[in-house]
Amino acid sequence: MSSLKEILTRRPVAATIRLTVPAGAARPAPPVGPALGQYRLNLMAFCKDFNARTQKYKPDIPMAVTITAFKDNTFEFTVKSPSVTWYLKKAAGIESGSSRPGHVIASTITLKHIYEIAKVKQSDPYCQYMSLEAICKSIIGTANTMGIKVQKELD
Amino acid sequence: MLMASLRNLLFRRVYTCSTTFYIPSLQLVRPTSALLPSLSTLGHFLPAPRISGQAKEWRCLSPLLASFSTSSEASTNEASASSYLSVRIRCRKDVADMLSDALLCFGASSASMDEPDDCDSTDEISINSIFTECQDVGACISNAAGSIGLKDMPSYVVTMGEHCDWIKKTQESFHPVKISEDLWIVPEWRTPPDAQATNIILNPGLAFGTGDHPTTKLCLVLLYSLIKGGEFFLDYGTGSGILGIAALKLGAALSVGVDVDPQAIRSALQNAALNNVGPQEMQLCLVDSMGNPLSAVGTTDGNVKGQSSHGIRLVAEKEKFDIVMANILLNPLMEMADHIVSYAKPGAVVGVSGILSEQQLPQIEGRYMQFLEGMSVSEMDGWACLSGRKRITKYS
Repeated sequence: MSSLKEILTRRPVAATIRLTVPAGAARPAPPVGPALGQYRLNLMAFCKDFNARTQKYKPDIPMAVTITAFKDNTFEFTVKSPSVTWYLKKAAGIESGSSRPGHVIASTITLKHIYEIAKVKQSDPYCQYMSLEAICKSIIGTANTMGIKVQKELD
Repeated sequence: MLMASLRNLLFRRVYTCSTTFYIPSLQLVRPTSALLPSLSTLGHFLPAPRISGQAKEWRCLSPLLASFSTSSEASTNEASASSYLSVRIRCRKDVADMLSDALLCFGASSASMDEPDDCDSTDEISINSIFTECQDVGACISNAAGSIGLKDMPSYVVTMGEHCDWIKKTQESFHPVKISEDLWIVPEWRTPPDAQATNIILNPGLAFGTGDHPTTKLCLVLLYSLIKGGEFFLDYGTGSGILGIAALKLGAALSVGVDVDPQAIRSALQNAALNNVGPQEMQLCLVDSMGNPLSAVGTTDGNVKGQSSHGIRLVAEKEKFDIVMANILLNPLMEMADHIVSYAKPGAVVGVSGILSEQQLPQIEGRYMQFLEGMSVSEMDGWACLSGRKRITKYS
């Protein structure tokens, strides 16, 4: 819960912006440019900050970032790791999910892949309360909706 | 479900025709704004869809209903390289978050939501989404709506946006920045507040370095304290050229700017011209990510050939610079540490910045300890700048 002081000094929010930017490669060009430009935010500051904070990831991984723009043209942002679907596609080696999930299987992956993905996701802000097992279950659920089969071991 | 199968047949026919028009004949459950009768005339505004890819992902959940409006300045041919599609989608407040995330997964470049005012009593909210010009907006929105379980298609309005619009808006936010008592950075379109001081006129364009980032300020303060007159200065990662030009204005004899981004080199050339800095004083070189020169440019187009060989020769000359600055990012600083320090004379000052104080500074200190002695760190707002003198003898 926020402290009283935080509530009193909370700045009025103008907008919430969601973007996907490759790690370490933010530039004041699309997609960053138009999205932030229309709220008059300092593009250079965002790019520099974002690039510095995503240095620890492999370059050009698409990171989901949520920016909160305040009415006084300042902003804050949080960087989330790439989406589960992106990790699954990389692990399975496919470009897009199956067109008919449940009927057509696009690819298969092993439990080891799921475990590795869950470990990365655990450092995400909104997954920190969940146990590793719970994260794995939700990843398997996502894999099913994409038509990716999960096996214990590869044959 | 005769209707559904007929509908599917119709859509399949549409895609094999490879033209862009949507069938507005089917009614939506929830009535929305009036639909335009014939959309084939708007064909030249609508992007040509990637047929094979879209057809696979098309889920015929709900009929498409779209009302299009185009902004007045949208021109057909010249806008194609410098414009984007801005889509305003209306949906219920409780699904807005999920819809934004889903839009991003299905191909939108960004999705923003304005904070609703307290006096806004409807339960609907608008999402502004940006797409690149050649994307199928309707398919993306319907896929996104379907993936989160919305039964009906949200209404949306597509407008063409020009890149110059947002570029202009960001430029409005630049103000003159005071670095010290008599050093100011002033954007090109504003008048310097203090005409007596050393004013650096900048047009940052699309390159880094406007003067108000903490790392730029840290580097400028460091330069201000170091330059006595007549030094050779190397700016590794020059961006808009701000550090190089500042060094010259403060008394350096020669500035060389190096960058991997051709846009940065162009921007630095422009800024050098704005500040009346000639090719003898400032040289720029485009390098690749390993530091090998790709080309060098002088500050006047006529002398490019003459300057290029001189520029490359100068950059390739190691141990020739009195001050070397690199305001870039952690990874290039770590990888290119040897390369960057090799340009400095023994005993010269090397400064690096663009690093976060808590997470990245210890790594940089560890890496540069073997090259530099007498290291000192200055910090501002969570960013740090590390500087030291190049060791004359080898580190043991």
